[in-house]
Amino acid sequence: MGGGAAGSDGGRRAVTTLDPPRPAGEPPPGDGIIDIDPFVQPGPHEHVGLPRTFLGWLTTTDHKAIGVAYAVTAITFLLIGGLLAGIMRLELAEPGMQFLDEQTYNSLFTIHGSVMVFLFAVPFGFALANYLVPLQIGAPDLAFPRLNALSYWLYLFGGLTMLAGFLADGGAAAFGWTAYPPLSGPTGSPGLGGDFWIMSVILTGTSGTLSAVNVITTVTMMRAPGMTMFRMPILTWNLYLTSFMVLVAFPVLTGALMMLEADRRFGTHFFETMEGGSPILYQHLFWFFGHPEVYIVALPFFGVVTEIFPVFARKPVFGYKGLVLATLAIAALSTSVWAHHMFTTGQIVLSFFAATSLLIAVPTGVKVFTWLGTMWGGQLSFAPPMLFALGFLVTFVAGGITGIMLASPTLDFHLHDTYFVVAHFHYVMGGTVVFALFAAIYFWWPKVTGRKLGARLGQWHFGLTFVGFNLTFFVMHLLGRDGMPRRVADYPDVGNVAVLNRIATIGAAVLFVSVIVFGVNVVRTLRGPRTEGADPWGGNSLEWATSSPPAAHNFSWLPPIRSERPVFDFRWMHHPDVSAIGVDQAWRARADHDARWVPLHPRSEDDELQAETQPDAETGAVPADGEDATNRERGDEP
Amino acid sequence: MRIELIVWTLAVVFYAVVGALYWLVDGDPAGASLLLMGTFLGGLVAGWIWDWRRHHPEPRAQDRVDADAADEAGIVGVFPTASLRPLALAVGMTAVALGVVLGSWMLIAGVFIVASQVALLTRDADR
Repeated sequence: MGGGAAGSDGGRRAVTTLDPPRPAGEPPPGDGIIDIDPFVQPGPHEHVGLPRTFLGWLTTTDHKAIGVAYAVTAITFLLIGGLLAGIMRLELAEPGMQFLDEQTYNSLFTIHGSVMVFLFAVPFGFALANYLVPLQIGAPDLAFPRLNALSYWLYLFGGLTMLAGFLADGGAAAFGWTAYPPLSGPTGSPGLGGDFWIMSVILTGTSGTLSAVNVITTVTMMRAPGMTMFRMPILTWNLYLTSFMVLVAFPVLTGALMMLEADRRFGTHFFETMEGGSPILYQHLFWFFGHPEVYIVALPFFGVVTEIFPVFARKPVFGYKGLVLATLAIAALSTSVWAHHMFTTGQIVLSFFAATSLLIAVPTGVKVFTWLGTMWGGQLSFAPPMLFALGFLVTFVAGGITGIMLASPTLDFHLHDTYFVVAHFHYVMGGTVVFALFAAIYFWWPKVTGRKLGARLGQWHFGLTFVGFNLTFFVMHLLGRDGMPRRVADYPDVGNVAVLNRIATIGAAVLFVSVIVFGVNVVRTLRGPRTEGADPWGGNSLEWATSSPPAAHNFSWLPPIRSERPVFDFRWMHHPDVSAIGVDQAWRARADHDARWVPLHPRSEDDELQAETQPDAETGAVPADGEDATNRERGDEP
Repeated sequence: MRIELIVWTLAVVFYAVVGALYWLVDGDPAGASLLLMGTFLGGLVAGWIWDWRRHHPEPRAQDRVDADAADEAGIVGVFPTASLRPLALAVGMTAVALGVVLGSWMLIAGVFIVASQVALLTRDADR
């Protein structure tokens, strides 16, 4: 299926199932493991890889190009957010004010948090969704490619709007990434920076909502034949359910911020106590978005490691349906725990939210145990993607455990708004995201670029990130326990506070070095030649059944899909006890079908012309010449 | 579509139950109405899938465990080629948003860009 583009017509292009020449139906020779590379050569006219011109990037609707644009933009924002954090850590290295004033410091932590949450963590999930969902379900593109391009541009412009706040009169927003009124109201923050911040988040929120619609439609309507819901890779499942949560949560935030902007600009009083409004209403609206947000950020990365553990443990994922159900439970429960961020307001029923918050630990625990079960007894190997996935597991469990502590109102009253919360938050959102992000980059880099990132530098990168991250953030637990409040630019030199802060700053420096190591690795790889085939890791899911990088509209050929790891099954087709049931029957049925097959849509005029003038062009792309001749005859029949 | 229907129906049930529970326990109208909206959201998609299934009783190739590439021979989709419209539309929407802050001249320009680009997009889709 998939493949030859049968001519483009005006603004659109039909993708037909015209098979390119290939060894039809016969079992591949030999009885060993089947190499997938000869099956996935792109057709002679197919555009492979990313756009090559500037205009190409501006106009592209290819999900792969947009996915890469999302990823590059998100990582740029990660570096910007990291830079802001570095400035704050330098200020906090010693007691007393070093080189910032309080207002600038407030702007820094506001924009740091907002950039990391709205412009880095969520959009990187959409980068994964863009690039991988169509590849993993065997689709030619996302359902609405132009909507997808619109989402990307809205995200980019929204992000630039947020940074433009620094140029605004009165500086960037300085009310924290949660933007609680009355501080964020017209009296609390009269400057333009606050308005820029609100508009920026509205734009990126709209972008996220559009992307979510796109992903849900794609997964619902565009899966390849045989790719049932329970054969989808866990990453696709997670992105599907993430999109569901985005639909629930993001419009609420957009609405809340529109109300806030109306308070600031148009004289409404939604959140102003003096005029009968309620700041608590804002907190409800914000956290109804804000807590699903944590899982919107985390679920794609849970999916990433669930793709990586089975490949590097050489085992199928343990408890597939359990994982799907756990993800469903997390997606649902995450929208009913929001007010555990508001325990100290005294305006909510503590027991309801404490109960739901503790409940959500159960499906999360199920996930952790299935990951351990996947690795248990496997043939583990420790390439960089696996190292980062293990780093993810450690930081996520650490952050999850402090989360359970904070879910208890009695402890939360003591720890609220201290560095303990900062530590918890950075373990859950920062560590989880960063480690799984790099795991994803190392894992799919060969698919995107046709090259592998260096393993030696990858190990250094991992080691430095792991040490730097834990140095920076572990001590924050101790700072919070000792009562250091968050969002302060200065602290007194009492007890261990100064020492612990210095350790955190040293950790941040180590993290900085780790990023440089990664940059060197990237540059070195990109300057080298393309060396990798379709399936460099021995992968499981369908993205490994197309060339690296994939051609436009992705697939010229698909293996039979009989389990959640079709590429693995195909590779082991000669071993019925290893491969999924029905793969070799499906493969033989293709031979019967091909013998009777007359293509519905003959080749395009370009293809015909090419076949007539350069008959060798096709043979060059084909593994078995004899089969090719028969196939070409059939193509000419009608 | 059966699994999809179950997933979205579960969302409806979950939000209805938790919403009712929350309303009884807390009585907070903000959260309760948000959960009610969640019920509607799930219901919207579940209802669409239910209706779709009514019109397409045969399971699709992507829902059958024994389907293979041959079951979906023909055109699998029609996809737009490259286009500047999404970029221009995003510029217009950003101008609208910033126009609220910076002044009505920008807002009007933004509305004009959005309207023209939407019109051009729909014309593109006709061809």
